[in-house]
Amino acid sequence: MNLEADPTSFLGQRPLSAAPRASGDGASVKDGLLGFELRRSLRTKLLIAFFVIEMLLVSVGVIGLLSLREADQRANQVVGLQQKIEAYRQMQHGALRQLYGVSTALAFPNETTLAGALRQINQFGYDLDRVSFVAKDEVALLDQVREEYARFIAVVSHIVDLIRNGRAAEAKQSELAELGPLADKLERLTNQMVNRAEADMVAGIDASRQTYARSQILVAAVAIASFVLTLVLGHAISRSVIDPVRIIHHGLNRIAAGDFTQRIEVANRDELGELAAHVNSTCEELQQLYRSLEEASRHKSQFLANMSHELRTPLNAILGFSELLLDGIYGDPPQKMRSAIERIQRNGRHLLGLINDVLDLSKIEAGQLRLSLADYSVEELVSGVYISVESLAAEKQLGLRVAVPTGLPPARGDERRLAQALFNLVGNAIKFTDAGEVWIEVEAQKDSYVFSVRDTGPGVDEADQIKIFQEFQQVDNSITKTKAGAGLGLAIVKRIVEMHGGRIWIESRIGHGATFSFLVPARLEQQAMQT
Amino acid sequence: MSKRVLVVEDQEDNRQILRDLLECAGYEMIEAHDGEGALIAARTQSPDLILMDIQLPILDGYEATRRIKAQSDLRHIPIVVVTSYALSGDEQKARAAGCDAYVAKPYSTRKLLETINRYLT
Repeated sequence: MNLEADPTSFLGQRPLSAAPRASGDGASVKDGLLGFELRRSLRTKLLIAFFVIEMLLVSVGVIGLLSLREADQRANQVVGLQQKIEAYRQMQHGALRQLYGVSTALAFPNETTLAGALRQINQFGYDLDRVSFVAKDEVALLDQVREEYARFIAVVSHIVDLIRNGRAAEAKQSELAELGPLADKLERLTNQMVNRAEADMVAGIDASRQTYARSQILVAAVAIASFVLTLVLGHAISRSVIDPVRIIHHGLNRIAAGDFTQRIEVANRDELGELAAHVNSTCEELQQLYRSLEEASRHKSQFLANMSHELRTPLNAILGFSELLLDGIYGDPPQKMRSAIERIQRNGRHLLGLINDVLDLSKIEAGQLRLSLADYSVEELVSGVYISVESLAAEKQLGLRVAVPTGLPPARGDERRLAQALFNLVGNAIKFTDAGEVWIEVEAQKDSYVFSVRDTGPGVDEADQIKIFQEFQQVDNSITKTKAGAGLGLAIVKRIVEMHGGRIWIESRIGHGATFSFLVPARLEQQAMQT
Repeated sequence: MSKRVLVVEDQEDNRQILRDLLECAGYEMIEAHDGEGALIAARTQSPDLILMDIQLPILDGYEATRRIKAQSDLRHIPIVVVTSYALSGDEQKARAAGCDAYVAKPYSTRKLLETINRYLT
C-alpha cells in the first residue's frame, strides 16, 4: 500500500511569510514617466506636473505684462514726440509773430506796437525753454537755435531802439538786412527739428506696431505651447497612473481565474510599482499554496483509491465464504446459522457499498472517472432502478410509484452512472421515510430531462439543504442519526449530474417530505468540464 | 475426466474459496501464485480455463494474459479476468489484453461459477 506520503505536505503547512517581500523588487523596473532615474512617489509626480503647469501659466502672464509695458513705453515716446513737434511749431510761429510785430512797429511806430514787439520776445523765450525741456537729445541743434535767437533778439532790440529814437529808415534797413535772414535761418533750423521729430514719430509708430505684432505672436505661441505641454503632461501623468492600474487589474483577473504563472510587469517606481510587486509576491504565495493543496488533494484521492482496493480484497473472502456457506457447499447449515451468515453477508454488502462510494468519489475528484456516453431509454433506466429498490420499499411497507411519460425519444448519456444517481436518491428516500410513499417521476423539458424523487419523510431543514450535497455531510438530527450512512451518496449524485452538465436541487419543508430533482441534457455529446 | 481450471491468485483465502467452489462443482483446480507461474502452468498443465487475478507479484494479470494469448497453441484457452480494481478503464484494459470474460471482485461465487460453466460445458 502506498501510504508513505509526508503528512506535512499533505496539509500544505508552509509559512505564508516565507515568500520574498516587495520592497526591493520595485527598484529593478524602469520608470516610465519623464525618464526619471530617481524613485518618485505618485504625489511627487503630480506635484511636479502641477508645478510645471503653474509655471507655464505664470510665464504667459509675465510675457503679457512685459509686452504691455513695452507698448506703454512706445505710446509715451510717441506722445513725447508729438509734444516736441508742437513746441517746435510754436517756436516757428513765435518767430513769425516776432517778424510780424517788428513789421507792425515799423509801419506804425508808437508805444503800443513797440511794446507788442518786445512782448513777443518774452513769449519766444518761454517757447524756447519749453523746447529745451522736451528735446533733450537735440542739444547741438537747440544750442544753434538759441545762438541764432540771441542774435535775433539783439537785432529786434536794436530795431526797437532805432524806432523809439525815430530812426525809422535805419530800422527798416536793419530789418531787411539782418532780421529777415536771421528769421529765415531760425525757420530753417526749427523746420529741421520738426522734420526730425516727425521722422522719429513715424519710426516710433512703426516700432510700436511691430512691437504689438511681436507681442501678439509671442503671447499666442507661449499660450499654445503651454496648452500643448499641459495636454502632454496630463496624458503622461494619467498614463503613468492608468496603465499600471489596468495592467494590475488584468493580472488580478488572471490570478482570480487560477493562472499563477504570469507576473505583473509595471514600469513605475512609485506606489503603483510597489503595489504590482506586492501583487506578484502574493501571487507567488498563492501559487505555492495552490500547488500544495493540489498535491494534498491528489494524495487524498490516491489514498482513497488504494484504501478501497485494499478493503475489497478481504471483503471478497468474507462475501465469498458466506455465499459458499449459504449455498451449502460445506453441508446444509442449520436455520440459526443460516440467518447469522445472512447477516454477515448483508453487512458485508453494505460495507462494499460504502467502499464503492468512497472509490467513486475519489475517482471523480481525481478526474479519473470518464462518462461512457451511449444512447439509452429513460423508461428502461427508471424501470431498472425500480426493480432494484422494489424489495427495499416493500420491506418498509412503503408505496413506490413511477411516473414516466411514454414514447420518449432515446436519450444520450452515461446510463450506468445516471441509474446510480437515481438509485442513490430513491435509496435515500426509502431509507429516511418510515411511512407513506416514494414517487419516481420524469419530466421531459426542451432538450433536457428532469428526474425527481419525492418522499413523505421528515424533510430537510432549509439551512441543511446546501450542506447535504457536500461529501461526508449528513443532516445532523435525531431522525437521521438513527440511519446509517457515510454521507457520500448525494455528493456522488451531484458530481454525476454535473459531469453531465446538469444540476441538482431539493425542495423540502420540515415535516412535509422532500423532493430531490436533477436535470440532465436529453442528449449529451461531450462530457462537461469538471469543476 | 474432469475439466481443469487454472486459478492464478496470490491470496490464500481467495484461493480457498475457489478451491471449495470448483471442487464442489466437479472441476479440477490447478494453482499459480503469480504471473510467471501462470505462464508455466498454462504450458505444462494444459488447463481448460484460466481464472486470472490482475494484481499479481512479478508479472501482472494483464501481461500474463497478453503473453498466453500471444502463443498460438495456448490461445484457445479461455481466460476469465478477476479484478478488484473496478476502475472504469479496467474492463477495456482486460479486453485489450485478450481476455474472454471479466469479473469484478468481490464477486458472487454463484455468478462466477455460471461464467465458468459457460466456457466449460
